[in-house]
Amino acid sequence: MTPVDPLGEVVREEWGRLTALLLARYRRLDLVEDALGDAIEAAARTWPVDGVPDRPAAWLHTAASRRIIDRLRTEAIAQRVEPLLVIEAARREGGRVMADPGALVEDDLLRLVLMCSHPALAPEAASALSLRLVLGVPTPDIARLFLVSESTMAARLTRAKKRIVGAGIPFGVPDASVLPDRLDTVAQTAYLAFTAGYSPGTGADLLRASLSGEAIRLVRSVLAMRADEPVLVSLLALMLFQHSRRDARVRDGRLVLLPDQDRQRWHDDEITQARALIDAPVLRGPVTRQAAAYTIQARIAAEHALAPSAAETRWEHVVRLHDLLLEVAPTPSSRLARAVAVAEARGPAAGLAALEGVEIPTTHRIAAVRAELLARAGEHDAARAAYDQAIAACRNEVEIAHLRERRQSLG
Amino acid sequence: MKYLVLLIGDGEVKPWSDQTSDEQAEAMGLFQAFDEACAARDGVELLAGEALAEASDATTLRTRGGQLQLTEGPYAEIVESMGGFYLIAAPDLDVLVDLLGHLPAYDMQISPVVDVSA
Repeated sequence: MTPVDPLGEVVREEWGRLTALLLARYRRLDLVEDALGDAIEAAARTWPVDGVPDRPAAWLHTAASRRIIDRLRTEAIAQRVEPLLVIEAARREGGRVMADPGALVEDDLLRLVLMCSHPALAPEAASALSLRLVLGVPTPDIARLFLVSESTMAARLTRAKKRIVGAGIPFGVPDASVLPDRLDTVAQTAYLAFTAGYSPGTGADLLRASLSGEAIRLVRSVLAMRADEPVLVSLLALMLFQHSRRDARVRDGRLVLLPDQDRQRWHDDEITQARALIDAPVLRGPVTRQAAAYTIQARIAAEHALAPSAAETRWEHVVRLHDLLLEVAPTPSSRLARAVAVAEARGPAAGLAALEGVEIPTTHRIAAVRAELLARAGEHDAARAAYDQAIAACRNEVEIAHLRERRQSLG
Repeated sequence: MKYLVLLIGDGEVKPWSDQTSDEQAEAMGLFQAFDEACAARDGVELLAGEALAEASDATTLRTRGGQLQLTEGPYAEIVESMGGFYLIAAPDLDVLVDLLGHLPAYDMQISPVVDVSA
């Protein structure tokens, strides 16, 4: 069976591998991306005429290699000296040339992932760079996903690439003692992209599931290389539980909260997969704090996913999981989520008490939750004031509409 | 690559003058361990490293309107005084950060050195 868009498919599947392979060989972050872009353009011209080659990825690799070699020759003539990407000595001495994707290439892809999400890069830059270099998401699309202009995103990516070369961030795998920490950063990078899609702060779209989908793809591709890494297993479970609800979260352009969602519209295959992941034996051993936090959050998501209806959620159990989460990750957003669960389990007054002293300056969510709990407690005046506060701080049009509606329903 | 590592703040380490002689001896042991770790690592060379005098002995030089100006004390933007520095050749940032873990837990700034000969 021939895919409808063979080039699109090979680009989507192989971009990261090809980038990694070319980087390992030529060490020129500045040339690799352009050369690969040129190769894809050439493929778009010639494949429809000459037919799709037997090994499309190898074809693209060869075409991109030729572009890079051309550029290197031109530069040698111009005697320009460009800084090279740092590649571990052992890797360089091997001097081997790999024409085919193979076992060693997986290793190169891991190097690429670790380089893009290096802790010396700003987290937003690392997220964007990973989407660009590992997944091959076009720059204009990344700009749209992160809600910035195309030129801003292009500049951000260029700066990040320059910084990798300038600061000496290696294209390498650190030794085993450091690798779990570095994979934690990889996970954070992917989760940042995921949440950016899941709860956008501004604009008309309630969620941009495509960004979350790309973030899941990023985690899957790293997990393919490090199958038992607890932080990746737990993060993928968490993402899949959240992502499984995407279609039920919006109806007629309006936000639908968890209790009112049509559970038929949840993606059962993803929930099944996420359940299998949180039961993985690897999550029962000692894990990093980050992995523990993802695991507990995934277990909370599982409680919601597996409850037969919203009313039958085991709220006391959810509260206990939130207590556990607070021990591992005592953040304001963990406390906010716990207060919501407490309100469900023990009533709005208990929820309001749990909300006391929780502050997150950058979000309207605390005011929105307080408003909702005050409304349930029958304190309508205070609820209206809290809704006003939430509406003033909210930047998402769909959520604002939802908050207005709630406020009006108070009469 | 070559890096300049500035030991720029005490961080969670007690100021040198507040340390007991035992604590100072322990810190000296860490500096020694760092030297040895650098020597043992392939591709790493410790090119220079010195402890610096108190901030009150520092002088700041600025050029304003073509005139050299000297002022007493450290560069104002650096609130704490710089305690020392190393000039180190290392293959990459990860190797360097790994080695710097041997030192007392100072706040540091790592700046790659620009190779002007290239």
